[in-house]
Amino acid sequence: MKEIVVLSGKGGTGKTSITASLAVLAGSEAVVADCDVDAANMHLLMQPDFAVASQFYSGELAEINQNICTQCGLCSNVCRFDAIPFQNNKYTVNPLACEGCGYCQKVCPTEAISMKKRKSGYVYISNTKVNSTMVHARLDIGAENSGKLVAKVKSKAKELAEHQNKYFVIVDGSPGIGCPVVSSLSGASYVVLVTEPTVSGLHDLERIYSVIKRFRIKAGCIINKHDINPQKTEEIIEFLNRENIVHLVSIPYDIAFTEAMTQAKTIVETSSRISQKLIDAWNKIKEEAAKN
Amino acid sequence: MRIAFTSTGKSWDSIIDSRFGRTEYIVIFDEETKTLELVDNSAVKNEAHGAGTATAQKMYEVKPDVLITGNGPGETAATALKNLNMKIYVDAHNLTLEQAYESYRNGALKEI
Repeated sequence: MKEIVVLSGKGGTGKTSITASLAVLAGSEAVVADCDVDAANMHLLMQPDFAVASQFYSGELAEINQNICTQCGLCSNVCRFDAIPFQNNKYTVNPLACEGCGYCQKVCPTEAISMKKRKSGYVYISNTKVNSTMVHARLDIGAENSGKLVAKVKSKAKELAEHQNKYFVIVDGSPGIGCPVVSSLSGASYVVLVTEPTVSGLHDLERIYSVIKRFRIKAGCIINKHDINPQKTEEIIEFLNRENIVHLVSIPYDIAFTEAMTQAKTIVETSSRISQKLIDAWNKIKEEAAKN
Repeated sequence: MRIAFTSTGKSWDSIIDSRFGRTEYIVIFDEETKTLELVDNSAVKNEAHGAGTATAQKMYEVKPDVLITGNGPGETAATALKNLNMKIYVDAHNLTLEQAYESYRNGALKEI
């Protein structure tokens, strides 16, 4: 089984649009995992049916037992997040502000505070419009993505791929270079980088690649909207050559991407000239991923 | 020498866990006594963040001479492991512990 992770570093490069296109091209050959959970939107293009839902717990939340609380206010004083305001004659925890550090519990003289597991959202197993299985998640308001959630989504996707005898797991990776990205990367067979020719596009590409390089995972790159800045595109290609990253394809800027999106379609489901570019890219990715 | 493996299972035929921080198990093979020792690391699943440093902390308790793993520790975990006198060999993806040990003995694994 090959696990292909799509990453961009910078937002807005077209990562999810391209990942969904690859997922549509792979069809029932692949299990799809959406690990970009902070602002999950791949479901808009894959139209999953949310068949199986399970609650997800991450981190902790302070809870005050009002029967024992003497209203001394120590907890409120030590809280660095101003999460325990005095309201209606009692101290209560604001769940949006509480970071779950447990300082309040430590200082409470009457042991009125306990740390409860925090429900932070749902993990779903769905059937998509192209007859594949998709593992994805939805965070509650104020909840954050974590390495833990990404690891859970990925391990479920891998388990299903093994069970269904699928050759590919396609992962829409998390943004940035932090904990969820490291969790997206570990165990990956191949990384597809999606970038655009802008100053921050190249900067974030270099930054994300330094993480990928550390884990010695092979990578290929799709330069999206390559014609909006030919000079930056040249710089990106120089960088790819220097780092031995396969230049998978360059895609021109095309309004057809947005038009497809407004119909909840991926670009490969339209008659756009871009379709062929993505088919070529997917074939190349399969070829490259098979090498290791 | 005591050789530690990041492992998805508990036995000699288990597959290497490519992940360092979120490895399910750490299996230690003692070359002198030819015995296996098991450290259950599955509690790390509950760590929202900081899995790498938590497992690095575990390595200080286990103190093996060699670690055989897949991707290898990330930046922060690698820094935390610097003071531990342990060699790290990587890229043992998809191998059983036994195969990984053989590869290590034959010098086929890369040291970082």
